[in-house]
Amino acid sequence: MAQVRLTGIAKAFGKVTALDAMDLMIDDGELVCLLGPSGSGKSTLLRLIGGFETPSEGTIAIDGVDVTHLPPERRPTAMVFQSHALWSHMTVHGNVAFGLKLRRLPRAEIRERVEKVLDLVGLAGYGARLPSQLSGGQQQRVALARSLVIEPKILLLDEPFASLDQHLRERLRDEVRDIQQRLGITAVFVTHGQDEALAISDRIVVLADGRMQQVGRPGEIYAEPKTAFVAGFIGAMNMLDGTLGDGEIAAGGLRLAAEGAGPARLAIRPEDIALSEPEEGRTVTVRRMIDFGSHVVIDSTLSDGTHLRIQTDKTIRVETGERVGIRVERWTVFTEGEAPRRYSSDTVRPFREARYA
Amino acid sequence: MIAALRSGMMGGRLSGLLLVALPVALLIWLVLWPVLQAMVGTVYFPGTGFSTASYAYFFTDDYSLRNLWLTLWVTALTSVLRVTVAMPIALYLRFRTGSVAALVQALALFPMFVPSVLVAYAFIRVLGPNGIVDTVLVALHLPKLASPYLTPAGPIIGLVWDGLPLTLLLLLSGLGRVSIASVDAARDLGAGSFTLFTRIILPRIQSSIIVTLAFNVLGLFSAFTLPFLLGPASPEMMGPYMQRTFSDNADPLNATTQAVITFAFCAAFGLIYVRAIAKGRKGPA
Amino acid sequence: MTDLAPVSPFDASPSAVGRIARRAPIDWTGIAFLTGLAVVILLPLVVTAVWAFAEVWRFPAIVPQRMGLGYWQETLSRTDVWQALWLSLSITTTVTVISAAICFPAAYAFARLDFPGRNMLFLAFLSVQAFPKFGLIIATATIFLTLNLIGTFWGVVLIQLVGTLLYMIWIPVSAFQGVDRRLEEAARDVGASPMRVFWSITLPQAAPTLFAAILITFVNTFYETDAAWLIGLPNVRTMPMVMIAFINNALEVQYGAVLFVFLWVPSFLLMLAARRVMGADAFAKGLGG
Ligand SMILES: Nc1ncnc2c1ncn2[C@@H]1O[C@H](COP(=O)(O)OP(=O)(O)O)[C@@H](O)[C@H]1O
Ligand SMILES: [Mg+2]
Repeated sequence: MAQVRLTGIAKAFGKVTALDAMDLMIDDGELVCLLGPSGSGKSTLLRLIGGFETPSEGTIAIDGVDVTHLPPERRPTAMVFQSHALWSHMTVHGNVAFGLKLRRLPRAEIRERVEKVLDLVGLAGYGARLPSQLSGGQQQRVALARSLVIEPKILLLDEPFASLDQHLRERLRDEVRDIQQRLGITAVFVTHGQDEALAISDRIVVLADGRMQQVGRPGEIYAEPKTAFVAGFIGAMNMLDGTLGDGEIAAGGLRLAAEGAGPARLAIRPEDIALSEPEEGRTVTVRRMIDFGSHVVIDSTLSDGTHLRIQTDKTIRVETGERVGIRVERWTVFTEGEAPRRYSSDTVRPFREARYA
Repeated sequence: MIAALRSGMMGGRLSGLLLVALPVALLIWLVLWPVLQAMVGTVYFPGTGFSTASYAYFFTDDYSLRNLWLTLWVTALTSVLRVTVAMPIALYLRFRTGSVAALVQALALFPMFVPSVLVAYAFIRVLGPNGIVDTVLVALHLPKLASPYLTPAGPIIGLVWDGLPLTLLLLLSGLGRVSIASVDAARDLGAGSFTLFTRIILPRIQSSIIVTLAFNVLGLFSAFTLPFLLGPASPEMMGPYMQRTFSDNADPLNATTQAVITFAFCAAFGLIYVRAIAKGRKGPA
Repeated sequence: MTDLAPVSPFDASPSAVGRIARRAPIDWTGIAFLTGLAVVILLPLVVTAVWAFAEVWRFPAIVPQRMGLGYWQETLSRTDVWQALWLSLSITTTVTVISAAICFPAAYAFARLDFPGRNMLFLAFLSVQAFPKFGLIIATATIFLTLNLIGTFWGVVLIQLVGTLLYMIWIPVSAFQGVDRRLEEAARDVGASPMRVFWSITLPQAAPTLFAAILITFVNTFYETDAAWLIGLPNVRTMPMVMIAFINNALEVQYGAVLFVFLWVPSFLLMLAARRVMGADAFAKGLGG
């Protein structure tokens, strides 16, 4: 059982408020991603859980025990750092065994546990190497093994693979997910990459400016962003400034049904726009067509020059300068201080039908 | 095209040599040649041939040996003291940030801005007879201290003060290679401060400590101004001893012999230090 | 397919500065270091400064019996002081100008040109560091003896010049190396000649560090004692030599103090200026000599 409860956490460094008003419950065996732009307070939150920082306000409890003022070594947590955290003067074995030696375990047991954990991270037989003789990916595996060997209840990872290339990063994050599930431990994973967060987490905590924006399952956060920030940060999104009135929102020459009055922001996912025959108030000019192979993205402009991205079928072909009609199937309106309102149009006539009819 | 390139390169080679010619000439004339001359000139005498009499004299003369001994232990003690004093400050500065840390750094580096003549003067006014320390002690109705002025403790205190900033910077640049994350990782696993220092930090900065000590030995072994102004008249350190032999006794042969002996004692440290800087800054790319 | 929309934290509350009025933990270790260093580093200098303005300060009074500018007048009307100051300034200026004139071009060559023996020659400059300094001065002084340069203006200039070679070459070498090659290549691309590139791109980019090297050389040479003592005395009496005489002959205590305040404050400002341009590390290497 390892459950983390943060209550009213705030952290200030001098005049900078790194975190504020943080309430969060992490369940046993859950993998939670902390996602946010750099400087949003992800590392600070992780370091608070690990005991490397003390909160300015609030309490941290692990399994119901208040650990707010306990140092890192007295918490059932282990941290994997972004990079350079291996001790370069010790071998792989020495690095992994260090924590066990501090616990004065018998030699034979240390050897056995180190070998087991190296096997777990896929580095069996590398014990005698120095960190400098390993590749970047292998070094991070050692760091992972070093944390896992002391059998923590909670594994903390601070952008562990940020310095690796995309391919390796994807493989390692899947492995981490695998190991975490196999050992059944709780994990908190810091990342600024939404793909990474969407791919491995049970739940995602989106942070911005030291505040929690939204907590939820990956699909939920993508489909139902609670704030304009989350809408813009997770996945591709067209964000347009507009005005509400007369049961409509007017943004960049586009008019869509919406309630309310005053300034608002209109959020439309590129895949929620379908092409149709040109029609007054529903027409865009194609600037460029980007063929991703699996799908096509059309970069277009609305009548007032606002850019609009449209994602569509890979069979669609349009020319630069061509005027095409659009039909928005789903849109969300964000008004300051109110819950977002989501709308969808049920009268969709597919573009292909319209064009080739 | 290729011909043009090649002539350009030839031009570069020639002008390169021309540009460095003057400093190199000065270096050869006023450093390398004198060193060679000192080494050869103290054992080979035109007309009379080889003789190591001046060295024999130095190593049998009681006064010279006492001076050498004083220099050796003052150098050793001062180097170790500098590192011992600078290390806690360096550790603190490496792992702390904030306005207090910035102030500590500024203060610790301050002696860099103070010429050694001023160090000597201020030292006498503070620790000399009837200096400010004595004044304070008397005001508190305490007995006066035995003043370190004109004892070996004088130059040691002055030299530690004077050399603190450079020692600190050398240690700090060594500590820069110890990442904070690697220290945090060890803390996470339960290492206490002593274990942290001996098992994680020290092994990483061993070489910096050796280089720092080497640099200090080189500077201290022939230190002149502070030992001359603050130290005892007899025995004296090699710096003042060489100066007196050269100027007051007008005896360049023995002064040069003493210089060559200091070179010999510092050779290993010189090698360590120059290797380190040559490796560190690589010189021209 | 990421971040299509400009990310603006529309809904993210502006950081709540002020709402959190918590006290950062006090850095007691730092305060302990600070107190210790303040006593050890600043006290001697403060005492010296007080002496400069003390007209009467007899043991065992904690503070001077009478303060005033009396000794300033007395010290600054001594002819030996002004002669030494003038001499020191002319030696220092000569050394700095010559040093810059011969070292900067050499530094440029070491940094940018490829010529035979480049690495070996640079290593030769570094190798000077392997010798204890005063030993070197003795060795050079022996040569000067045969050239009758002991006790002459040019003798002192030469020995000081040699002392400046090292950092007047290696600080500028790193300055020139620090100039981004691509800036130079971009200038060549738009048609500038190599000379033009040097004057309009390379030199201005390296200028702050070169300037700092000049300042450091100036101040260091001014206060140099080892070489000035051995080569200069008794005929060439530079400012530090006069100060040492004041210390040793225990004339009036205040003479020394006045000179220190009078000379050290400007040099301190110069050094601070140099320090602003250079990193602490490079700066220290310069002084490390
Ligand atoms: N030790 C510290 N001292 C001062 N400010 C800090 C410190 N650590 C973090 N901060 C500040 O706190 C904010 C959040 O930082 P961090 O948690 O590292 O963000 P992230 O990991 O999301 O990039 C930033 O504004 C950062 O400058
Ligand atoms: Mg971070």
